[in-house]
Amino acid sequence: MEPFGTAERETRRQGTHLLVRAGEYACALPLAAVRRVVRAVTVHPLPGAAGELEGLAEFGGEPLPVLNLGRLVNAPPGANPAFPVTVVVWVGPAGAREMVGLNADAALEVVHVADESLVAGDGGLLLGEAPVGGEVVRVLNLEALGREA
Amino acid sequence: MSAAASRGLLLLRRAGGVWGIASAAVEGLAPRGAGYRIAVGESALAADEILGVVDGLRVHPPAPVLRRFWPEAMDGLAVHGRMPVVVVDPRRPPAALRYDEGEGVNEGRE
Repeated sequence: MEPFGTAERETRRQGTHLLVRAGEYACALPLAAVRRVVRAVTVHPLPGAAGELEGLAEFGGEPLPVLNLGRLVNAPPGANPAFPVTVVVWVGPAGAREMVGLNADAALEVVHVADESLVAGDGGLLLGEAPVGGEVVRVLNLEALGREA
Repeated sequence: MSAAASRGLLLLRRAGGVWGIASAAVEGLAPRGAGYRIAVGESALAADEILGVVDGLRVHPPAPVLRRFWPEAMDGLAVHGRMPVVVVDPRRPPAALRYDEGEGVNEGRE
């Protein structure tokens, strides 16, 4: 017996997120936009960059801008992370997407976030907040991150 | 986003990063103190170390997310030897590369 129909499977796929820890916040990244999760990459700082931009790295032979996820979502800093990670994601609209690294404190788990559970987005990077496993998580819209400010 | 192959980039190290500038735009290069002064048009750039000239690096156009968080002009990004390279616009070099004419004046003197 198949548990879900085609439409339901698509809905669940779109609602599937990677949960990561950034400071005191848990953030949900759309799984379809996640390319890889790796141990925190070596970053070369860019003098004069905004605080959100940690610098540049190399990933798979390509240059990779690396952003601090905690700074992006204004998360209060948490304890020193034991296994910091870089989540390599696609940002920006389809057809003009670009690869970006998001430095986070930890990758936690894959979760499903139902659209109807989302509240209070800002129309930009923060798509909304939703309760997941007893915690409120910030659900992010990575397409917005690649738009010009 | 497509990448174009570069012709003759002078690679240099400065402020913890690697930078590339079209070698055709370089009019002079001279050691100054512990570093180098590079003449480019009407401006001068500073380098801590000269890494050499390379051909054929794939230069990616500057991505919107980078322009959003780094206000400097640039021609693009590349990778050389697993190091990210910022390819600078010789007409508008970033502040971190600008040569301070007082730089290196007292270096090497007792």
